[in-house]
Amino acid sequence: MSLALTSATRLDRRSDRPPVTVVVAGLLVAAIVVVAAVAPAIAPYDPLDQDLLALNQAPSAAHWLGTDHIGRDVLSRLLVGTRTTLLIGVGGAAIASLIGGGIGLVALALGRVADTLVFGAVDLVRALPPILLALLLVVALGAGVGSVAIALGLSFAPFFAYVARAAYRREMAQDYVVAARTFGGGPLHVLGLHVLPNLAGALITQAAIVLPRCIVTESVLSFLGLGSSPDAPTWGRMVADSSRYIEIAPHAILAPVIAIVVLTASLSLIGDDLRHRLDPLRHARGAAGPEPQP
Amino acid sequence: MNTLAGLALRLGKMLLQAAAIVVLVFLLARVVPGDTVDVLATQGDLTDAQQQVMRHELGLDRSIGAQLLAWSSAALAGDFGESIRFRRPVAGMLATALPTTLRFAGMSFVVGLVIAFGLAVMAATSGSRRTTALIDAVNIWSIAFPTFCVGVLGILVFSVWLGWLPVLGSMVLPVLIVGIDSAGQIVKPLYEELREATAAAHVRTARAKGLHPLRVVVVHLLPTALPIALTLSGLVLAGLVAGTLTMEVLFGLPGMGSLLLNAIHGRDYPVIQATIVVIAVALVVINALTDILHRLIDPRVTA
Repeated sequence: MSLALTSATRLDRRSDRPPVTVVVAGLLVAAIVVVAAVAPAIAPYDPLDQDLLALNQAPSAAHWLGTDHIGRDVLSRLLVGTRTTLLIGVGGAAIASLIGGGIGLVALALGRVADTLVFGAVDLVRALPPILLALLLVVALGAGVGSVAIALGLSFAPFFAYVARAAYRREMAQDYVVAARTFGGGPLHVLGLHVLPNLAGALITQAAIVLPRCIVTESVLSFLGLGSSPDAPTWGRMVADSSRYIEIAPHAILAPVIAIVVLTASLSLIGDDLRHRLDPLRHARGAAGPEPQP
Repeated sequence: MNTLAGLALRLGKMLLQAAAIVVLVFLLARVVPGDTVDVLATQGDLTDAQQQVMRHELGLDRSIGAQLLAWSSAALAGDFGESIRFRRPVAGMLATALPTTLRFAGMSFVVGLVIAFGLAVMAATSGSRRTTALIDAVNIWSIAFPTFCVGVLGILVFSVWLGWLPVLGSMVLPVLIVGIDSAGQIVKPLYEELREATAAAHVRTARAKGLHPLRVVVVHLLPTALPIALTLSGLVLAGLVAGTLTMEVLFGLPGMGSLLLNAIHGRDYPVIQATIVVIAVALVVINALTDILHRLIDPRVTA
């Protein structure tokens, strides 16, 4: 974040203050991160504890957000679920940027043959929409926090490869790179020392755009019954669990749905703002352009 | 590059992509610990000898390469094997599910395009603030509200609270939800393109001549926007996959999404494999067709 903001001031001469909506979004995300950090300490109940004498109860003093169909406290599940939801989303985006950006850059630096091969393969994998690829990967890897994060990471990696390529080609044409190569700098030396620092902005922006999509995709997977294991509740899983009881216990499904919307909307607003600030290529509709959201 | 070679190249890429999907899906389905026979063995008592016989009958004792070849050539002939759970040909199950999904996706696609084009044309020709604000709203809506969350809220509001039944099994609500979502993804770039087009000299001339505004839009404005509309439609189609999948499950529509989900829960690998391959290959073919159309409409496109 701090890196993003420093390069923002450098790249963006306007250096205007973020709009109020983005500030509010930032505060909401900060609050959600704090909740994720301290969730087990502030959760009033064990999120897995079932109270079979209190099924589908409406919100009350004892259960602020009520209970679900097997008597688990919705508030506690929501709080503890924050951590798993964020962990998978951030993990997925991080894996995607490392794999996508890393493979893309190394292929580019190694020359035309590696470039053609790797991006040919990326093009082929890209034919599968992220949601289908992620679904398939979760089926193959099995349920669990780690495997869902890896599945998301692999599914969204191609976007980073494309962004890395676009930014790389732009940087390689710059005078300072040409100078470094003229003085005998090898491809990896030029890449690591000269180009990479200037690509960071583009990759961070892409990560900010992909993060909410990872979170949505995770909740869709969970909603389809393919997410983390039952003992690690996520918001998507809460929606899935409660969807059959929507008529008798709307609160149990409303709480996670609102949480997902608040988080993804806030992150999207921040990502969009970052893109406008950081990305000098924003007028070129490249790989980071409009992309369907799950 | 001449047109014919370009077309051949694009078709070649399409075939490669389709083949890559088949291989990828096939390999990933084999990574899962335990094969079809293991799944069956957990459902009923099977002796080791019986399992061996079944593996041989199903061809599971052959190498992965041989299995892949056998599956692909059968699939090309329309034979996707047999469902483990239902002991029915997978092709028949796909044929039952496909019309629902095509209808749902098709209607959502049309609703999305109508909303997006309507708003973009209105805003570009009138320049009204209110319409551009609406465009922003639809755009932010599609970014911020995942379709399945909107679906849940929709069921809650219209079915549970307002009692406007029946929501389950009806396509109206999910089509609207996915349609608005699709519109939001494309309306902004479409509007920007149309706004540039309205400033073009030939459109100004047409207006100055006093042509009917509708004629200006249909004859002079829309053709310019056709190429970008095609590109954006491709994006919408890919986005429809997730929307269709979740909406079918949420609203109980018996399409490919529901089929896939049931297969996943029943570990019915032949069905999982066939469903994903059919959806993905359909997307690859549609994308290739839009690219080719794009090339035919807009001769500047060579890549």
